[in-house]
Amino acid sequence: MRYNRVHIVLFLAPILIIVLVLCGMIAWTGAVSMDNWVGMAPVWQFNGLQNYATLFRMERFWSALQNNLIWMVAFIIPSAALGLLLAYGLTLSGRAESLFRPLFLYPLALSFVVTGTLWAWLYDPDAGVINNILKSVGLGDLGQPWISSPRQATFCLIGAAIWQYTGFAMTLYLAAIRDIPSEIFEAAKVDGASDIQIFRHVVVPNVTQATLVTIAMLTVFTLKVFDLVWVITFGGPGTSTEVLGFFMYVATYRQAFIGLGAAISVIILILAIAVVVPYAWWSMKRLQT
Amino acid sequence: MKTMNMKKWLSKLPLLFILTVAALVWLLPMYTMVANSLKTQQEIIRAQYYLPPHGLELRNYVTAFSILKQGLLNSVLVSVPATVLAVFLGSWAGFFLARMRFKYSQTIFFTTTIATFLPYQVVLFPLMYLLMTLHVINTRPGLVLAYLILNTPMAMLITATFFQMIPVELQEAAALDGCGPVTFYWRILLPVGRLAIISTAILIFTFIWNEFLIAMAMTQGPSAQMATPVLAGLKGNYAQVWHIQMAGAMITSIPPLLIFIFLGRYFVAGLMAGTLKG
Repeated sequence: MRYNRVHIVLFLAPILIIVLVLCGMIAWTGAVSMDNWVGMAPVWQFNGLQNYATLFRMERFWSALQNNLIWMVAFIIPSAALGLLLAYGLTLSGRAESLFRPLFLYPLALSFVVTGTLWAWLYDPDAGVINNILKSVGLGDLGQPWISSPRQATFCLIGAAIWQYTGFAMTLYLAAIRDIPSEIFEAAKVDGASDIQIFRHVVVPNVTQATLVTIAMLTVFTLKVFDLVWVITFGGPGTSTEVLGFFMYVATYRQAFIGLGAAISVIILILAIAVVVPYAWWSMKRLQT
Repeated sequence: MKTMNMKKWLSKLPLLFILTVAALVWLLPMYTMVANSLKTQQEIIRAQYYLPPHGLELRNYVTAFSILKQGLLNSVLVSVPATVLAVFLGSWAGFFLARMRFKYSQTIFFTTTIATFLPYQVVLFPLMYLLMTLHVINTRPGLVLAYLILNTPMAMLITATFFQMIPVELQEAAALDGCGPVTFYWRILLPVGRLAIISTAILIFTFIWNEFLIAMAMTQGPSAQMATPVLAGLKGNYAQVWHIQMAGAMITSIPPLLIFIFLGRYFVAGLMAGTLKG
């Protein structure tokens, strides 16, 4: 199909303008992160890396960063593993797949605010659903302080996120398993391999790509997690469940340390780039030219 | 033959049992939300949350709806135009990148992918500043603009992935008839690729409807506030009033859940195109 310069401009100008605006905003955040901007009115007073130095001296920053790392390990691995197991289970179940699949996927359609509202109650130590159910079946001793304990609270948030996102990993893995040539499965079956052996030696090695995509997507998710923290614990007890995304919001909008908030944003950006850039590179390669 | 099938079915029983248990665990939070949203205050006080409600206490929904009304209206008036505009602009560029041989298409695709997965925190404050400068902060058009900027890259990414699957012959035949890119987009691509457009729109609408950070940072007070911040506020103002909270959460979830139930296939297709494959 013939096209000329006018077409290029016509079709690509809107997206390029949007991308440029986004780049401008990133640059703006970078500039503000090196300014002594406190209060809502603009203060353009360059202070070098002072905000970063302040940040690195704050225990609150390190605890938020540590929580982000806990999220990466305790959220991504179980979500991906459960997703893969469910995907294989559904594949084996044959026709029951279409019945079960939506039951694991539906939380993905909900807002984190809804998930947060719901799970905040499930986890409530006194009036909460989980502790009350345990009590009513005579297992009250197993009741936990859940979100009122600084030690457990982050893991409670992660539990809600796993509930919401396992279906996402499952969907990616279902497609990946479906893409494995059926001859490989049949050959394994002829050799007398059990379903578990097939899982270990056929399924797992053949879904590496889906695993990489799942990990990339879930890592990006852990870097921007905010809503669940806000709704369920508001960072508490104390600051024990704060993550970088939450700390950035509080520093910027609650305490008006704009420069400091921008510095946190830049750190989130750097962490995100480490994942997103390789992913975008890989995804660009599949664009046919 | 029959015994063979029977045997096969029996061997699947343990698997089906495990899947059923897992599905029940996954459904329990939803059950809790629905069941308790229909209970009276007295039933809630008895704390037997796992029991089904005695009657249908629809007054909870009336109360929750009266609080969420303005927020829901704002959510509709922001999500719908933002989705339509983002999908239009995204598919407009997505078509060109996916179907035309063009030197910088990979570069643009690469940059747009990065823009798609950028954490919102990175642009949150400048975005607010932009809306203030344009005097649209705390207004619905301001929110539409914010979501348009943030979601058009994703719309482009998803539609481009879909459009790559449209057969080349279609484009060649159209070119032979002297059809240019603009005519091709309107007359052929939109009708032929309507499933791609629907999938993308459904996904982006759900994202915007469910979004919280932008919705909260760009608004103050009820006039332009979307449903998600209002729901989050409900949790603060109605602490311990679980049945009202659950009714509010249910109401806010209705549009995305309806989409998931009736258009789930497109929702999943859009999700897959946004990540792995078309």
